[in-house]
Amino acid sequence: MIAAAIWYQSPPFISYRAGMRFLHCVHAEFLLVLPRLTRTRLGLSLLALGGTLVWLSVHGLDPLTAALQAGALGAIIGAAELVGRERDRAALATALTHPTTALGVATGRWLAVVLPLAPLTILCAAATGGGHTGAITAGLAAAAAVGGCALFVVLFFGNGGALALFLFMAVAGTVAPERLVDFARPGVMRLTAASALELGPALWHYRDIARGDVAAALHALAWAGLGVLFASATIARRGVHG
Amino acid sequence: MSDFALTLSDVSGHDLGPLSFALVPGEIAGLVGPAGAGKTKLLRVVAGFLRPLTGAIRVWGLPVTHPAARRLVGYARDTAAFPPSLTVREVLMYYARLHYSMRRVRPPLGLMREALEIAGLAPSADLRVEALGQADLHRLNLAQAALGGRRVLLLDEMLSGLDAFARRDLRGRIAALAATGVAVLITSRDPAVLERLAARVLVLRDGRIVRAGPLATLLGERVLEVILDAPPPAPPPGFRLTAAGIETPLAGRTVEAALALCRTHRRPVRASRVRVKSLEEIVLETHDVH
Repeated sequence: MIAAAIWYQSPPFISYRAGMRFLHCVHAEFLLVLPRLTRTRLGLSLLALGGTLVWLSVHGLDPLTAALQAGALGAIIGAAELVGRERDRAALATALTHPTTALGVATGRWLAVVLPLAPLTILCAAATGGGHTGAITAGLAAAAAVGGCALFVVLFFGNGGALALFLFMAVAGTVAPERLVDFARPGVMRLTAASALELGPALWHYRDIARGDVAAALHALAWAGLGVLFASATIARRGVHG
Repeated sequence: MSDFALTLSDVSGHDLGPLSFALVPGEIAGLVGPAGAGKTKLLRVVAGFLRPLTGAIRVWGLPVTHPAARRLVGYARDTAAFPPSLTVREVLMYYARLHYSMRRVRPPLGLMREALEIAGLAPSADLRVEALGQADLHRLNLAQAALGGRRVLLLDEMLSGLDAFARRDLRGRIAALAATGVAVLITSRDPAVLERLAARVLVLRDGRIVRAGPLATLLGERVLEVILDAPPPAPPPGFRLTAAGIETPLAGRTVEAALALCRTHRRPVRASRVRVKSLEEIVLETHDVH
């Protein structure tokens, strides 16, 4: 039996089977979000976010900004609910004692953060009158980029980091760096904030995706990938140190 | 294929070793020692989470870092945590999905049910993790470690912090797993909890095994306890003071000879008895000697 198990479970090289195994691990991680949507504050928080954004757009918020905020803020809420609590983060170390990888866990959690935001972004864009494909794509790109970043921040700093990122995205995220430079007084703080907005996953970038800007889409994609990689490194570190 | 389920050869690094020992299939070995002795670190090295600086760890003849070897090793951490908002069934189903293999005959549902059965968690299957008591958390930890037909189990403080009933139940479940050929390496700060489980004991101090042997051999040492009318100012040679009198190991001498020694030192003996040393005493003595 042991010999059979070893023969079956030892792909000699990276193969189709190894790829499928990775996808199975990602799928197993993603499925963890389903009970949480109804059992924790996650579902209600996302509904409250959608309702607030629709209400704000009725009172003057631009529909594209509403779609972007739905994606970005929803991603931060999702990351906080999935891995924000210390016990949830500690449970990652237990998961790594099973046949999975830190990258598989991070990718699955990122999908679990991002995929529930697709209906929210679509509904938000439709309800605010900005339901064209561009706004929805921009909202989903913002969800993917901010989801990756939020996953890493929450894994590393906990819910305190999630709150800081939420406030940054809600308040400063839509402001272009040039405007910030115009507003603020010269100094290191201004330059740091402007650099964060320029390089980081800020929403002003992703507005251009609605107009078909490929560079902005690549920026979002890069942040999604970087976020997942940093998150997987953090998870791997937890596996070693318990 | 190796005849050993687990072998460590000259493993060192991370303040451990060099350490060498092997576990045969179905064997339960207890790793005891004070806090900071290196028990948890050793289990992490054996589980493949920490890379040793030197030496080799093999699971059924395969290096422990090999994916197939890692699938055969189940590890229950001392500080194991599970997603609190999920039920026991959902948590085990999640782990079972991670064990999915295209050629595996048994689907995740079967693996999950088997794990529930192994740990005796069926009555608590629909409870959320955050509602579980300490005993059920330990059972869940055992279930996730054994899930997927693991052949080597590394159990860190699995029996610590439990009441006698839960401890007995878990001991029985671990012994049942070992009876199916699973090799078990279990650690404990408290040696007494391993006395009825481990067939072999390894005493760890400062990352090194300072004493090892079959439990039956270690517990074969006998002690003569002598109760005196008045506590002596100094014990006779070879004896040590206790609360009620004096005591001495009976290694290499008879009870009569030991009692005669008391009399020659003019110690009036009120009563005496011979008892076997407890594992705790053996571990403490080993610790003091080294």
